[in-house]
Parts: sequence; structure tokens; C-alpha cells
Amino acid sequence: MGKENVKILVGDDSILARKQLKDTILKFEESVEFIDAANGQEAVDLYLKEKPNIVFLDIVMPIKDGIAAVSEIIQNDPSALIVMVSSVGTQVQLKAAIEAGAKDFVQKPINPDQIKNVLASHLK
Amino acid sequence: MFAQFFGSYLLSKNAVSPEQLTAAITKLADTHIKLGTLAMHKGYMTASEVDEVCFLQTREDKRFGEIALERNYLFEDQLEDLLKSQNPDYLLLGQTLVDSGVISNTDLETLMVGYQAENKLEEAPSEDANQEETQTLIMNFFEAADEQLSDEALMYMNLIFNNLVRFIGEDFTPLAPVACTSYDTNYCVTQSISGPINVTSGIDMEEDVAIAFASRYAKMEFHVFDEYVKASLEDFLNLHNGLFSVNMSNAYSTEVALDPPMHNDVPTYKMDKGSFVIPVIYPFGTIYLILAM
Repeated sequence: MGKENVKILVGDDSILARKQLKDTILKFEESVEFIDAANGQEAVDLYLKEKPNIVFLDIVMPIKDGIAAVSEIIQNDPSALIVMVSSVGTQVQLKAAIEAGAKDFVQKPINPDQIKNVLASHLK
Repeated sequence: MFAQFFGSYLLSKNAVSPEQLTAAITKLADTHIKLGTLAMHKGYMTASEVDEVCFLQTREDKRFGEIALERNYLFEDQLEDLLKSQNPDYLLLGQTLVDSGVISNTDLETLMVGYQAENKLEEAPSEDANQEETQTLIMNFFEAADEQLSDEALMYMNLIFNNLVRFIGEDFTPLAPVACTSYDTNYCVTQSISGPINVTSGIDMEEDVAIAFASRYAKMEFHVFDEYVKASLEDFLNLHNGLFSVNMSNAYSTEVALDPPMHNDVPTYKMDKGSFVIPVIYPFGTIYLILAM
């Protein structure tokens, strides 16, 4: 990605969780453009419109949950880079997320080191 | 966890009033455990011996241990043991209540013995009590209020008290659970869990309490009741229920589904039989845990 602006879509129904994640990302990435989505449907629509470099998605969300949103995004863009961020880190949810096409999983409460590693390994 | 439930034990025995307890809880952070309290807890000294040494300390410029040794109230090896032993957290609460004149050392001695016997505590439970010990504690807490919990509900309550310690702070005391089928709400957030077990849980509090609760949860300073404060309440509940679903999956291979948390915008919340509300006192105010079966 080099010095170019990184476009990051943050999908979470909690305004606080979005802020906490964005604040954490800003510790490790300098030039970022954030796109906020408050539910799974918004995340799908904004993905198609904005084509972000990476997506962070919560699972439990109103209107459309995170797993369904991943499936839809991947159908439209199989190369989409999506990381799930959820407190529901059960094996079943993990498997469902990966099968839907998510590339990584971060357990809430988020740990800055984990976010740092995710950014480092996916945004080269 | 033992300090929190020692507080509710004291309330259930009418040894203190909620106001006295809250005042003692707010002082905890600045209090250090005294040798006399520890000696009494270990059964090395009686309450009257401790009182006597404390009195003598006002006459002689000597340390507690020195006087206790001189009077043969303590042996050298006992003193050494006390100086290096780990203190259960509820002792500090008891001592704070003695220092504030709410109860006497003699009361504390009796109450400690009763509390330990009721909860089958080892002589000196460490501060990192294991899951099993806190489960017994919570079971007794509910039994004292004539509430029987299923294994899952017990795990649920154990986890929520642990999450309060972890994300909000350990300076709380839960009051006895109140069985009810309707509840008048303040600002109430609920979340439904479905699957092999179906539960709706919630947290409810007044707006100014919510501001303080959210400030602790988010580690930010909030001053007005805004969307971040509201989101903090939802996030705490959602985080807790998410961790519960992980526990259910690991312990029982049971998968539960979570609905998104929501603001429950009704003045009176109706619940089925078997539901209950637990008031939890923090220095900044009271929060209400709701478990609707």
C-alpha cells in the first residue's frame, strides 16, 4: 500500500466500538480514510460503492448480520479482505466466518497488538 | 469476588445498612489491611486480644506485632506467617467497617466465621479464587434469596459478576436477587439469547449512573448522556453475552444465537415467571441486572 491513503471500512452497530477500533488503527496507520457502517446491509452497500482496502466487521448486528454481509461482499468481490471483530468467538462462528470468506478473526475486547498484527499481515 | 459477596452477606445478616456498606466500599482503595485483622482471620488472636493490642498501641510507641509478641498473643512463626501471607479481599472490607465504627472486631470475627462456613472457603482463599469457589459463592447468594439456578444460569451469573470486576471495577456489592414479572425501567438495554436456552438479559440504570458506568467501561470521560454512553451499555452487555456464548460452546458444546442489544423503550418491562432483578451498588450509583427466562 506504501504511502497511499488506506481506505478502511468499519462495520459495527456500536458507535463506541467503531470509535475504539478506529482510534486503535490510527496508532499504526498514518493516512487512513474511514468509512463507517452501522449494520451489515450498510457494510455491503458501502463496500460496493467505496471499494475499501480492508473491512473490519462485527458479527451481531441488526438488519443484516456480519456473516451474511461477508457472503454478499465476497460474491461481488472474491478478493475482498474482511476481518471479523466479535465477542462471539466460538468455533462455529469462526468456521462460518471463514467459510463465508473472512480472512481473519479478532476477539473483542480488541487488543491493540492484535490489530497491529492484522494490519501488518494483510496490508502489505 | 469475595469482598463483593461478603458485603451482601453482611446486608443479609443486618450487620450493616446499604448506606454504611456503600461508604465503606468507596473507602476501600485507600485502605490497607492491618495485622490484627489478619491475625483474627487466621485464628491466631481473638477479637479482644486485637482490641487490647490496638489500645496499647495508643500508649506505647511500638508496632502491633511487637506488642502481640510481648503479650504472648502471637508466636514468632505466626507473626512471620502473617507478614508474608496473602489476604483475602473481603477482610479489607470488614476492617474498613470496623474502622468506621459500623461494626466491632467481635462482630467481624463472628461474621467472618459465618461467611467462611457458608461458602466453604478455605482458611485463606487467595484473591485469584478459582471458578468453582466463586460458583459456590453465587449459588449461596441465590439460595439465600430462595432462588435456584440451573447450571447454565449459574455460569451466566458467575460470568457477569466477573465481567463487572473486569470491565467496570471491583468496588461493587450485589443486593439479593428480587424475583419479579414486571420491572419499571430507567435507561434499559436488553439482549436476547436463543437456542437450546432462551434468555433475555438486561442492564438498567439512571442516566447519570449510566454516564459514570460508561466512563469506566470505555475508559473515557463522559459528561453528558449521549450516544456513546448508550453504546457503552449495549457494548458491555453484548461483550458479556458474547463471552457467555463462548463459554457455553466450550463447556456444553452448545451454540446459542445472540440478537443485537437494544434500548428497551418501555416504562415497564414485562417478564415471565422465574425472572429476577439484582441491584448492584457501585460508589457512583446502582445498576440493575435483569435476567428474564
